[in-house]
Amino acid sequence: MPPPVEIHHLSKVYRRRRSLKRLLPGTQGNPLETWALRDVSLEVPKGSIFGLLGPNGAGKTTLLKILSCLVLPSGGRASVGGHDTVLGDTAIKRMLGYVSSDERSFYWRLTGRENLQFFGSLYQMHGKVLTDRIAFVVNRLELSEQVDKPFGEYSSGMKQRLSMARGLLHDPPILLLDEPTRSLDPISAKHLRRFIAEQLNGREGKTLLLATHNLQEAEQLCQKVAVLSGGRVLGIGSVEELPVWGRGKERYVLVLSGVSALPEEMRDGLTFTPLRSGLLRVAGEFGRDGERLSSLLAEVIRQRGRIVSCSKVEPTLQEIFDRIEEGTS
Amino acid sequence: MRLLRQMLAFLRKDLLEEMSYRTAFLMQLGGIFLTVSLWYLIARFLRPPAEALPGLPGVPYFAYLLVGVAFYHYLGSALSSFATKLRGEQLTGTLEAMLMTPTPIPVIILSSALWDFVMTSLRVVVYLGLGTFFGLQLRFDSLVAFFIILVLTILAFSGIGVLSAAFILYLKRGDPINFLISSASALFGGVFIPNQALPHGLGELGRFLPITYALSGIRKSLLAGTRLHALLPEISALLVFVALLLPLGIIGFSLAVRKAREEGTLAQY
Repeated sequence: MPPPVEIHHLSKVYRRRRSLKRLLPGTQGNPLETWALRDVSLEVPKGSIFGLLGPNGAGKTTLLKILSCLVLPSGGRASVGGHDTVLGDTAIKRMLGYVSSDERSFYWRLTGRENLQFFGSLYQMHGKVLTDRIAFVVNRLELSEQVDKPFGEYSSGMKQRLSMARGLLHDPPILLLDEPTRSLDPISAKHLRRFIAEQLNGREGKTLLLATHNLQEAEQLCQKVAVLSGGRVLGIGSVEELPVWGRGKERYVLVLSGVSALPEEMRDGLTFTPLRSGLLRVAGEFGRDGERLSSLLAEVIRQRGRIVSCSKVEPTLQEIFDRIEEGTS
Repeated sequence: MRLLRQMLAFLRKDLLEEMSYRTAFLMQLGGIFLTVSLWYLIARFLRPPAEALPGLPGVPYFAYLLVGVAFYHYLGSALSSFATKLRGEQLTGTLEAMLMTPTPIPVIILSSALWDFVMTSLRVVVYLGLGTFFGLQLRFDSLVAFFIILVLTILAFSGIGVLSAAFILYLKRGDPINFLISSASALFGGVFIPNQALPHGLGELGRFLPITYALSGIRKSLLAGTRLHALLPEISALLVFVALLLPLGIIGFSLAVRKAREEGTLAQY
């Protein structure tokens, strides 16, 4: 049984045609070649949620579009359910559901149901089968009350749920999710994540490939992630396994009172900012073993000072990518 | 059967969309009425001699003009609808969603233009219907020939239209076919004036355009009641155009799709 998604040394370079724009004075034409993917290899296990984690422009969407047969690779090979994406167009499209955060991909003057009826017919569904399936997915996604309203009147959350309903209409075993919570408020995003994890992956056993730039989302949903940056895979593993996350330092910000000065050996790499009312702000990186932080806190107690606040600062996604890049180079 | 169901789904979707723009629909009807009136007045003003319309004895110029203009709309639809629909679906983002489905791309493109052909047919009926109030006399004794010519006309024009859509898919803008074909057809295809009336033998250029044979056959069947066997020259010529243009359009479109997939611009505009 072939794995749901298998990618070997996949590359994609976008070659642009020369534009007349470059003839205008003061303008520089865009580069004629852009590498979207370079030598990407990964395998998505059956029944798993696999994350493609990376900043904008990392190549996540290009990868999903190659899997959906919308884009041809420049090198390497990608297959879905054992079918090559260059050759097995129809077979692959029957197996895949694609959910994006693009609100434009519906007919705004038609109702949600009319939209689903149209797209269902393109999956060769019709009559009672289509009617029943629409009722089922709409019910699952709690859209029953809104499905007969024009799509243009939907909120962002409803549009996203309808997009999910369309992706599920033909009951595909594999779902490609391209930043599905990007335009959602935190509560709607939480509901959708729960639906993905509990219903789609948990109960229905679907294989999901989730492209996201949201670290928390990847942590909550994915059993495995591939970190992409500049079209390259920087690392593959569980979120905890990724290099530097496991070994790197943590950043803390402390506000202290009653502390005059710290010994020289403790000051290295930390920044000190005096605040009003004699408070002192200390910020910097501390090892995960807790040794340095413990020494600092012990010194504060020795000086009979007080810890007004102590907070851990999560690294930004870009910082994590930079660290991984440093670690891999 | 599956193909028919999918085509019907496109028709239903476009009908529902069209119905949500009621005012535009009604305004079209008003526009057609004014156009028919205009052609009637122009025809009355010009009054060309009867021998100026060869093969159509006793047919008034108004009838010649109205049928020419009405059926010229099919060429307009074929030339614009494939490309316009494609571009519209690209702009609204629905093209990408359709391309994610297992429905073959040629079916999507051809079905997208169906509604325009239905609307064009309705428009032609309204043209001819209003024309009868201005004295247009139609002959219904050669309807089989008329429908054969009409189907061949739509197929031949669709070949050019699909080729035009291929240019839009690849170049995004600047389709070089549309303007050239529609202008040349209007001028040399006998839409407004018979080819024989063009100076310096320019009418001979019409031999290379499908609209010349389409309009000749439609006028002869609908206005003069000419029988099928007498329309074989027009039917044969249209068959040659269909055999050339339809595969050319489909091959051109397949190449454009391949190129757009390579460049990753299939759904870009």
